[in-house]
Amino acid sequence: MGFLNLQNSHREEKLNVIDVTVPRVVKKLRNPMRSSSKVRLDRVTRFVLWFTLALLAMLIIFPLGNILVTASRESGREVFAALFSSSVTQQIVKNTILLGVTVGLLGTSIGFLFAYAQTRLEFRGKRILHIISLVPLISPPFAFATAIIILFGRSGIITRDLLGLSPILYGFPGLVIVLTTSFFPVAYMNILGMMRSLDPSLDEAASILGASKFRVFVKVTLPMLIPGIASSFLLLFVESIADLANPLVIGGDFTVLSSRAYIAINGDYDVAAGAAYSVVLLIPGLLVFLLQRYWAQRRNIVSVTGKPSGRISPVESKSAKIALLAVPFTVSFLIVLVYITVIVGGFVKVLGVNNTLTMEHYSYVFSGIGNEAIFKTTLLALIATPLAGIFGMILAWLIVRKIRRGRQAMDFLGMLGIAVPGTVLGIGYAVTFNHTTKLGNFGIVPQLAGGGAIFGGALAIIMVYTIRSSPAGQRSGIAALQQIDPAIDEAASSLGASGVVTFRKITLPLIRGALLTGLMFAFARSMTTLSPIIFITTPDTPIMTSRILSEVDGGRFGNAFAFSSILIVLVLIALGVINLFVKGRPTLSLTTPID
Amino acid sequence: MSKTSQYSAASNGSSTEESESSRLELINLSKEFGQGSERVIAVDNINLSIHPGEFLTLLGPSGCGKTTTLRMIAGFERPSSGEILLDDQDMSKLTPDRRPMGMVFQSYALFPHMSVYENVAFGLKIKKLPAKQIEQEVGFVLATMSLQFLANRAPHQLSGGQQQRVALARAMVTRPKVLLFDEPLSNLDAKLRAQMRIEIRQLQQRLGITSIFVTHDQDEAMSISDRIVVMRNAQIEQVGAPAEIYLHPKGIFVADFVGRSNFLAVDKVHAKKKSGKVAIRVLGKDLEVEAHESALQASAPVLLIRPESIRVSKSKSEATTISGTDGRVLNVVFYGEHVEYSIETEKGNLVAVVSDPKYDEIVPIGQMAEFSFDQERAWLLPADA
Ligand SMILES: Nc1ncnc2c1ncn2[C@@H]1O[C@H](COP(=O)(O)OP(=O)(O)O)[C@@H](O)[C@H]1O
Ligand SMILES: [Mg+2]
Repeated sequence: MGFLNLQNSHREEKLNVIDVTVPRVVKKLRNPMRSSSKVRLDRVTRFVLWFTLALLAMLIIFPLGNILVTASRESGREVFAALFSSSVTQQIVKNTILLGVTVGLLGTSIGFLFAYAQTRLEFRGKRILHIISLVPLISPPFAFATAIIILFGRSGIITRDLLGLSPILYGFPGLVIVLTTSFFPVAYMNILGMMRSLDPSLDEAASILGASKFRVFVKVTLPMLIPGIASSFLLLFVESIADLANPLVIGGDFTVLSSRAYIAINGDYDVAAGAAYSVVLLIPGLLVFLLQRYWAQRRNIVSVTGKPSGRISPVESKSAKIALLAVPFTVSFLIVLVYITVIVGGFVKVLGVNNTLTMEHYSYVFSGIGNEAIFKTTLLALIATPLAGIFGMILAWLIVRKIRRGRQAMDFLGMLGIAVPGTVLGIGYAVTFNHTTKLGNFGIVPQLAGGGAIFGGALAIIMVYTIRSSPAGQRSGIAALQQIDPAIDEAASSLGASGVVTFRKITLPLIRGALLTGLMFAFARSMTTLSPIIFITTPDTPIMTSRILSEVDGGRFGNAFAFSSILIVLVLIALGVINLFVKGRPTLSLTTPID
Repeated sequence: MSKTSQYSAASNGSSTEESESSRLELINLSKEFGQGSERVIAVDNINLSIHPGEFLTLLGPSGCGKTTTLRMIAGFERPSSGEILLDDQDMSKLTPDRRPMGMVFQSYALFPHMSVYENVAFGLKIKKLPAKQIEQEVGFVLATMSLQFLANRAPHQLSGGQQQRVALARAMVTRPKVLLFDEPLSNLDAKLRAQMRIEIRQLQQRLGITSIFVTHDQDEAMSISDRIVVMRNAQIEQVGAPAEIYLHPKGIFVADFVGRSNFLAVDKVHAKKKSGKVAIRVLGKDLEVEAHESALQASAPVLLIRPESIRVSKSKSEATTISGTDGRVLNVVFYGEHVEYSIETEKGNLVAVVSDPKYDEIVPIGQMAEFSFDQERAWLLPADA
């Protein structure tokens, strides 16, 4: 045996004389705030920038501007005046606000309970509860409304046949139930993300200072969740006032702004009035979007310094657990019930009335226009999703790495597609693209939407899908790019990779996961969206969601259920396929938070 | 004695109040996580008595169970078995909020939605002290820690060192009987860390609060502790004052963990009854050295010589072969106040740190050097373990 020379490895580096200067250089390079890549834009980047701006103008700025122009016509001005004079119009606004506030409060509370259960309780079926709670995010519209009517309506299977009740579901109560179950997952994801990011040692610090579990929650946990809770409320508020499908199906006499706008255009053929109602709808939407960004910025304060440590000690009292889990389990049960209803409803004659098995709904759906709708909807969504992904990525890249001034504005413009209520977007597209746009006598934009449009109006639908989906790509792109040290890009280019190669070989692989996940839900969203589509769809290009609406309208629930089931299967297939590209389980961070 | 009077005693700057300090005992304490194949024994049957007012450090590599031990004391983890006694009172049934303890977290865990003042006042408010008194006590602690000018700031507006101070103030203001620290300095830069060590130590001594400090940094442990507990694989390896741990480690693991070491295989060993020393032969020389009690029973005892105990000079004998105390310099690093050598010897490489170097006595790379050490500075220990 000779000398054992066991030194602590971290001391050993002192021996290395030569290294001394190297770390210093590296350190300087690593500073993430430094932005050498933002010095003067090269020609390619400038071209990309102008091209992007042109696309944004075409896809969102132009349609929104046109709404304002249209709404300022006479019948539009009358609507604005009626806001202050007509009790009918005022009632509509009141209804809208009442609905938004109720769904916002209820949905946020339910979302909170779900998030609390996931993070603070130990129980069986936790994972299942999580998955079930995400289902509404990718559900077709009407699925809930129609199933709820069949289950809980005046002649509902549960209400009349089981309980002998005949409640009146149409109107406010039905809307609240349906919208709350449809939208609470948004709040859930939002609050869940926030609760997960809380440092458990904050709880521990409070408890060792003498605070009981309850007081820790009230004094420490809850105040830190306020931004998440508030932003969830606002998101739900906007989502529910912007929704069109459910007010049409289950709203009854309870008229809200979105359904009033729809009636103005499709019933009264008064486009200006429709545009005016949608402007009224647009204002809270944009305000909330801006507020939401403000909250998101405040959110950063929550994670102060240091490594999070410790762990959450779960609630152990049995009775407390039961009380806290009652609502999540009831809601999950309801969701499952709705899905069973939708699927079974497609295979029986008239669910609850004549339960003989039949394939007639499916054979109807798979023939003629139904078949075409299935094919075209899928095709258009498949075309739009990658476009949206690329467009969102380019926006993210410009915002994070290239432009210096106006990045906030650019980000805002990019996000408008999702910030603007679907009804508003649809009306904007209708008033803009239902005719040729002329400059003087010279047509610069051909008719893209409505009867007689080029490509049967398909182009306008792809545009809508794209602008509604690209914010998902933009968000995940920005989040990912901000985490990637510019030094990595620079390291690659110092090794001789050109800008494009660097992006393709380095940046893109690094953000692929986030991007695909974002797009996966964007695709699901496109497939299931109704409100923007309904104003521009034409018989040449039938879209599934609008077909479902007409089936529901005609009382042919079986067909609607069959359509919905197919839609669900298509969405699931798409999720599965994209899943193959992303390694492992899909990261279910659906609510790419707006920050 | 009431809270207030305790407090004013401290504010008068009286020295350590031994009589009020608490004794903490860990008896056969164990903690296991998981079950079956995933079972981890994080803490394995440790026994420890922490004296009143003592500053005790748990030192050991990552994963050896320091944090788990601390968290059991705080009440965040329930022991699998064993007892925790505070002044002979069993703590194990109490939730953390019922234990008279304070803790400083690695992440500081400052409440981000509260100002510095509110953070520090939190524990007193929970205890429902009168507003006037809260104001006084918080004001005093903030002043002691030079934080009074930051009272209205939010945590995120503070530097790392300031946050650390606030965390300390918040833990101390409630006058806990035991203060727990889990690597509280690891997020600070080296300079601040050294400064905070002194600050923590001084404050602790002044208040006489029994303290347990967890770290994996041996310098930190040495400079701050009354006693160090070296942990390894969920067990206690050695307990002792810093000097004892460093100079008289019980084995290679401890010796190596707390500092840099040269271990020399020895050729001949026999005990000298009278002096208590041990006669050995190493590198062709006969020496009498101090030894750990179990070194003689060990199959192969080794001699520990710290690098700073080795002297290095240019070879006088003009030797060209490596043998005995002649070796070849493999590397020299000049640090100003000291020179560090790596020397190839007949049995392997040796590290030597020569302080206060003289310009023309530095032996250049590749040259022969003669090295030596005092036998009083060597320590014989068992190699096994
Ligand atoms: N909550 C836990 N669940 C499972 N294993 C744990 C848990 N906490 C700690 N351990 C394990 O216990 C061992 C000791 O951990 P810890 O006390 O944190 O070590 P140290 O603080 O000394 O680095 C490690 O192997 C660690 O992985
Ligand atoms: Mg630890």
